[in-house]
Amino acid sequence: MSQAEGMVEELNAPMFFVDRPWVTIVWDDPVNLMSYVTYVFISLFNYSKERATELMLLVHNEGRAVVSSGGREEMERDVARLHEYGLWATLARDDN
Amino acid sequence: MTTFKGFVRFGEDSYILEISESEKDVLINLCGQLIEILAQRVDGTHSDPLAKMVGITGHDSPPDDEVLLRLLPNAYADPVDSSEFRRYTESDLRAKKAQHSMLIRTALMEMESGNVMLDSEGALAWLGAFNDIRLALGVRLNVDENSHERLELLSPDDPMQAVFAVYSWLGWLQESLVQALMEEFEVEGEES
Repeated sequence: MSQAEGMVEELNAPMFFVDRPWVTIVWDDPVNLMSYVTYVFISLFNYSKERATELMLLVHNEGRAVVSSGGREEMERDVARLHEYGLWATLARDDN
Repeated sequence: MTTFKGFVRFGEDSYILEISESEKDVLINLCGQLIEILAQRVDGTHSDPLAKMVGITGHDSPPDDEVLLRLLPNAYADPVDSSEFRRYTESDLRAKKAQHSMLIRTALMEMESGNVMLDSEGALAWLGAFNDIRLALGVRLNVDENSHERLELLSPDDPMQAVFAVYSWLGWLQESLVQALMEEFEVEGEES
């Protein structure tokens, strides 16, 4: 990386990434079927069955899992879609 | 209430349910109740047509009713952000949920043969409605991680016993539809 590129990157970072770090979290719920939660992840996010199952198990065992990340508006859309299918989802600023 | 097979996959993208008259009536009734519950939350006092048009409901506080709160949950831990989100999106969410239940009602009411056939898009709407109804019944039954045994042991005289029977049956029906949909992924993989 040239020196100029490095400077451009430094300048851009705060301006372009201010809206980046948001996450959608799905919380465990005793009503929702495990298979259904997996299927919702596949249908809504186009995740593979393996990835969707992994996330479902995280929700089930840890009580919550981050299922997507990105800009705030994008995460609001994800949360709205998860609510449409009855999953308990919230969005938050990524604290990692 | 017993449907023997639940949903069965048929060909590429069809899912068939053979359903009895009494099961059909139960589902039509439950979907109607869900639509009613959602309709209790009437859109707010906005007389501004522009506000209406963009879906501003006037509701910026969460529902008091526990069932409605479970169906229309907060999107943020922060109450201010949550209110803002609710004001712009809740009306749309209610409409979508009502549509899912309406789809089931219409399909069952127009059904002639004792069978319903869905494609995967329709199936997702059905699953969403099944789930909403189970969430609503789950609130009434106080379902939590440890409630299964208590509910299994309810006496036949207990009115909650019938509610639990419907809740369990719907769960079973929902599971059968998910399994039928998931077969797609079993066939593609070499070994599951």
